[in-house]
Amino acid sequence: MREHVEKLLEEGKVDAVLGQRNLGGFPFPFIYTKENISDTAEDFVAGMRYPMPKIFLAMHRDNPDKTFGVVVRGCEERALNEMLKWNQIEADKVVKLGYACSQTQAEACECREPYPTEVLLGDKVDPVAKSERVAEVDELDLGARLDWWKSHFNRCMRCYACRDVCPVCFCKECSLEEPDLIPTEMLPPDMTFHLVRAVHMAGKCIDCGMCEEICSVHIPLRVLFKKVRDIVSETFDYTPGKVDGKSPFNMLGDAVEFSPRPL
Amino acid sequence: MSNQEKTKFEPKVLAFLCTWCTYAGADLAGVSRLQYPPNIRNIRVLCSATVSPHHILKAFAKGADGVMVGGCHIGDCHYLKGNWMTVKRMNFIQDLIDFVGLDSGRLHLDWISAAEGPKFAQVVTDFTKKVKDMGKAESTSAGLADA
Repeated sequence: MREHVEKLLEEGKVDAVLGQRNLGGFPFPFIYTKENISDTAEDFVAGMRYPMPKIFLAMHRDNPDKTFGVVVRGCEERALNEMLKWNQIEADKVVKLGYACSQTQAEACECREPYPTEVLLGDKVDPVAKSERVAEVDELDLGARLDWWKSHFNRCMRCYACRDVCPVCFCKECSLEEPDLIPTEMLPPDMTFHLVRAVHMAGKCIDCGMCEEICSVHIPLRVLFKKVRDIVSETFDYTPGKVDGKSPFNMLGDAVEFSPRPL
Repeated sequence: MSNQEKTKFEPKVLAFLCTWCTYAGADLAGVSRLQYPPNIRNIRVLCSATVSPHHILKAFAKGADGVMVGGCHIGDCHYLKGNWMTVKRMNFIQDLIDFVGLDSGRLHLDWISAAEGPKFAQVVTDFTKKVKDMGKAESTSAGLADA
């Protein structure tokens, strides 16, 4: 990884590399350039999870003519692919530098693809095919599911952290900020808040789990979004995060085979 | 819910009707003097695809017991591809609200053309009856009971 990055910077193929760095014992996102690369002997990976694609998106919007390398996990690579497909970034302005997650991380995330396509650091570990957490909720009956979800949603304080950290929530205007749709005086917000976000995530969510990790009141959002992913892949046979393919929720999609469900 | 309460219960059904097909279909049902339950509240929209998840979920939040979306048949959309989006979105929302414990049967999508007045009356009658049998919808408020 290190030689690869140094070479890229030296040859001028990238202007800077976004990775992580230990500063005073804490891992932080850090921008490595030709000038400061020799300051550290580390491998740009400090073990903490940060919304790297989102940080990259901000850098890309501020410096549209610069090329950045981004140190990515499997999920972060999927996020970049998705941003690319939704025309948020330019393909030739980003160089992905992949590293694989550990088995413990993969199991904690119940990740179906805990590695990027090209691994420069670490070894590919076994993916987890099925989410136990989703299955647990699926087993409950309708009323119990509603109670379970309400028991979690009632802690929401509408801080928008889940939206802000989400790599595929890149809209400049957000319908969740419309007081007519989501009343500002109502706390916790109606379930609409989470469900609308879930609908907007359909065909986009790449299951990085940042929303759940950042949630200060521990709402199990990842269970909801894993289900969103499951529904999309079962109904539409589409998995977000791949380089090719187009979301079924793209306006310019193909003809549909569906018919309305019977009464 | 006892049988007596059930007969007393009149559901509120909100319908989003596409102006080019279903709304005209509703008009035809009206001028043909077809009978259908008065529980339905019609809202005319330019295309069934403009019905955002916000509208549907807000309707439930505000106490609708059923939500119906009516659009043109596939291929007849005034905006060519609008109802492709509608059907995909509705299928998805039905699966999603089922997962969070709301009854997906309370959300119904149907294609009703401007010539299908009798179908409109029939669908509204059937759907209202279905929702009536289901009883009052669960609140979508995440707060503590009646908070």
